[in-house]
Amino acid sequence: MNHQPFESWLLDDKHLSANEKRELDAHVRTCRYCSALAGTGLALRSANVVSPAAGFTARFQSRLTAHKIAERRRRLWGLILLAITGAILLGILAAPLIKTFVSSSVEWFTALTSYFLYVYTSFQAFGDIASVLARMAPNFIPTYGWMVMLSTVAGLGLIWIISIWRFSNKPQGVSL
Amino acid sequence: MNEEQTWVLQAQQGDDEAFTRLVETYQTPVFNLCYRMLGEPELAEDAAQEAFLRAYQHMHRYDQKRPFATWLLSIAAHYCIDRLRRKKFIGFSMDAEDEDGNSYELPDIDAPNPEIESIKGQTNDRVHSMLDGLDETDRAAIIMRYWYDYSEKEIAASLQLTVSAVKSRLHRSRKSMAGMWQEQEEDLLAEMERRHHESPAF
Repeated sequence: MNHQPFESWLLDDKHLSANEKRELDAHVRTCRYCSALAGTGLALRSANVVSPAAGFTARFQSRLTAHKIAERRRRLWGLILLAITGAILLGILAAPLIKTFVSSSVEWFTALTSYFLYVYTSFQAFGDIASVLARMAPNFIPTYGWMVMLSTVAGLGLIWIISIWRFSNKPQGVSL
Repeated sequence: MNEEQTWVLQAQQGDDEAFTRLVETYQTPVFNLCYRMLGEPELAEDAAQEAFLRAYQHMHRYDQKRPFATWLLSIAAHYCIDRLRRKKFIGFSMDAEDEDGNSYELPDIDAPNPEIESIKGQTNDRVHSMLDGLDETDRAAIIMRYWYDYSEKEIAASLQLTVSAVKSRLHRSRKSMAGMWQEQEEDLLAEMERRHHESPAF
């Protein structure tokens, strides 16, 4: 049996004219398949909406609380595990150093002090060089050079601020 | 900005009370979707709770341009689809445990509750058994179409399908349901005939 166009009308839930409706009714009376198609459509459209048992929100709140507690516990355990792993790794890496420190602590202190002194004097030297350059530079750079430099710095700063603002205000993703 | 949008915005900023209002507002549509997907009120309760929990966890990812109901029902539908797929392999666990393994309180199913009783009375409902015979995604598409009046475009957005795929899934499902409907009719007729022959008056 030819089910068209009735099958398409039923599947697409087409809005029918009075004439089309009469034609469809006549076909459905003789066609078991289209009758079943019409029956399922009617059953689906007349099915009720089921509500949950009373107290759904309260049950959700207790579930949310339990979830939050579990989450906190999980984070705490993660942190503890991380700290223990870090301490063990540090211990393994530092073991040879600790061993030499225990065997000759005076030599250790001398080496450490000389290292810090070296770092301090290096910084001092760099500072002196920078201050000399800062005193000399204004004489070599013309006024328009300063203006260009300051405008570039201000422009870059503005771009940076705008990108941070746009990133923090943009919704992240649209669905799960 | 309407009341719902205000709640959504407040919930996105971490206001639990605002999210509770959203749960109150959408508990029935979410529960109904889960019930129609899973077919058991106990499983539907669990799935609806889990859907709300997932929505709570991902509130920061919700885009205000999209209707909140569509986003929420999409989460619930995806959760139910995953659950039905897992069921195929391992079977349903009726334990009241969430994804974290925490136990929680389920409503007392044995307690007299007219709503639950009425739901249980509908377990042999023809619609129910027909939905049960469909593929998970097809079932979700049918539910969204006939219970929530979603357009094919909305269903496509919710289930991450193309509009033509939704259309073809809806057609396939309706045809398959018509087949089941015919079988049910035949069984019913055969049963009536059998009873008629067995009756002492015959």
